[in-house]
Amino acid sequence: MKEGLRQCMAWLHTWAGLVAGWVLFVVFLTGTAAYFNAEITRWMQPELPAAGISLPPAQAVSMAQTRLAGQAAGAEQWTVLLPGGRNPDLSVSWRAPARDGQRFGRFQREILDPATGLPAEAKPRTTGGGNLLYRIHYDLHYMPAVWGRWIVGICSMFMLVAIISGVITHKKIFADFFTFRPKKGQRSWLDFHNALSVLALPYHLMITYTGLVIFMFMYMPFGITSSYGQNQQQVFYDELYNRAQPVPASAGAPPLGTLAPLQSVLAQAEQAWGPGQVRSLSVQRAGTTDTVVTATRQYGHSVSRNGQLRFDGSGRPLDTDSARGNATAVHATLYALHEGHFAGWPLRWLFFLAGIVGTAMVATGLILWTVKRRPRQAKAGKTHFGHGLVECLNIGTIVGLPIGMAVYFWANRLLPIELDMRRNWEAHAMFIAWGLTLLYAVARPVMRGWRETLWAASALYLLLPLLNAVTTRRHLGVSLPAGDWFMAGFDLTMLAIGASLGYAAWTLGRRKPVAAAATARKARAAAPSATPSPAQEPA
Amino acid sequence: MTSLTTTVGGLTLAYSGFVALSLAMDRHYADVFGRGQEPGERQRLVLRLLGAMGLVLSFALCVVRDGWGVGSVLWLGMLTACALALVLLLPYAPRRALELAVVSAIVGSATVALDGIHGMLAPTRLPLA
Repeated sequence: MKEGLRQCMAWLHTWAGLVAGWVLFVVFLTGTAAYFNAEITRWMQPELPAAGISLPPAQAVSMAQTRLAGQAAGAEQWTVLLPGGRNPDLSVSWRAPARDGQRFGRFQREILDPATGLPAEAKPRTTGGGNLLYRIHYDLHYMPAVWGRWIVGICSMFMLVAIISGVITHKKIFADFFTFRPKKGQRSWLDFHNALSVLALPYHLMITYTGLVIFMFMYMPFGITSSYGQNQQQVFYDELYNRAQPVPASAGAPPLGTLAPLQSVLAQAEQAWGPGQVRSLSVQRAGTTDTVVTATRQYGHSVSRNGQLRFDGSGRPLDTDSARGNATAVHATLYALHEGHFAGWPLRWLFFLAGIVGTAMVATGLILWTVKRRPRQAKAGKTHFGHGLVECLNIGTIVGLPIGMAVYFWANRLLPIELDMRRNWEAHAMFIAWGLTLLYAVARPVMRGWRETLWAASALYLLLPLLNAVTTRRHLGVSLPAGDWFMAGFDLTMLAIGASLGYAAWTLGRRKPVAAAATARKARAAAPSATPSPAQEPA
Repeated sequence: MTSLTTTVGGLTLAYSGFVALSLAMDRHYADVFGRGQEPGERQRLVLRLLGAMGLVLSFALCVVRDGWGVGSVLWLGMLTACALALVLLLPYAPRRALELAVVSAIVGSATVALDGIHGMLAPTRLPLA
């Protein structure tokens, strides 16, 4: 019975993993990149000033208030985002009052020049930035967002099934905990797949489960519709998030009041949390008698609770955080764990590493499927259509998407600045390159396809810093001495990725004779009369 | 925000802890000290205790410095990074893995000592919320 269960689970693991594998690879890789979405966007807008300008918060706040009072006097909401953490700029944003028939008013945002207090002169190029990768992570692309979310959700469910069945299938989790035996063909792939899966198991489980929880109301809306009715879902959300009812438009213009300098709010918040701990200040209904000023704390001191202090228009403190129910707190924690906003630099890099491990886990699983079946294909003398399809899709996805992402960054630098629909063309470039890689994989013998596409991917990443040097004045020679870590960090990461891909291509080229010899040995041992066949090259 | 002390201390303690735990296993003891070598029973017990101590100290450092929530997430991330590094070092450079563990253990202990044992034990610094 025990053996039966394990075999059953192995079957489930194999096929659940294969069916959802390619989508999961895309979800994992773009999601991993999204841990640095703001930093990627920054690299893709080199017109913006270098990070690392120090501006005392009090000065920044008074600058921002002057600008907002001049530009957005009648606005419903103001926000001042102070430089600090992952945000290098002082920026202001405001939302105009909603007009008839609109749910929200127009939203505007400006990055202020710390020297003048006016909007930064350099207009950044339009780009999808890191946010495009972030959106692909759960919406996919070229389809309505809802379809993407359903596809990603179904595949995440397969992922959860694959994780649990994988744990049951794995015979010796603790005995093999540190085991990796290289240069042993299928054995090595299995060891590596196991290590990647087991060593980051808490992350894999967390990220898959929380990913499903984020969209749980979309995937499972039945509880809400049965208690609130088909068209009353908004009421549920307002109650869930404790949202105040908006002031009805018919109430007319509220009585005028004055807004004290925001510096006093800043000072009180810094006293509570420490200097530099205020992330943003937002003002609701500025210039009326029921103004509320909210100070929000910098991320990083708690997983899910982003400390807030509330004040009235004259700077007097109002009530503190309203209490949350346990269910809301659990939901907020699961959500926060997935998004990782609370992660400072060291933890952010660990999240990134765990994301890479997850991506590699999916990739090695897909590769293992083919490695296991190659000898049988070779023995039969011809490649089964299904097997060939998996081989091509593997190359086309596992190398194709990284190539596409590199080309996305290339397009950001090479497409003309004033190009119409520039943002869309960056994305098109990514998908065209990805599609071409897939076609190339179809046209080439499998092992050569892997090697050549890996070399191409490696070159695309290794040359990115050079492209940056040619097209901007923010290359590594400038950004490193200046401590411009947004620019330098991106360039260095691209070099590391390029080097890893190159190493993979090089290893693959070197490894071939060893693997072929091993297969030949095995074939001789199994059937002395059978002729050793070139197992690695099913044409 | 996680400090440099927490990062270095947490990583070095977790890494040396994992190396001690792996050396308590026959396969990896042989990886490092040569084929056929096995740890004695006492040695195995000491290695297991040292290993557990490394992981526990690493967890304590993360939680004391960054709180229960962020600290535990940070610790789990460090475990993944360190175990992965060890798994990749063992087949290619087993002696290096051991040397690195010795250096790590020294750096990690020094970090904790510098941070102040009294600080870790003081009840006021334990974030219970």
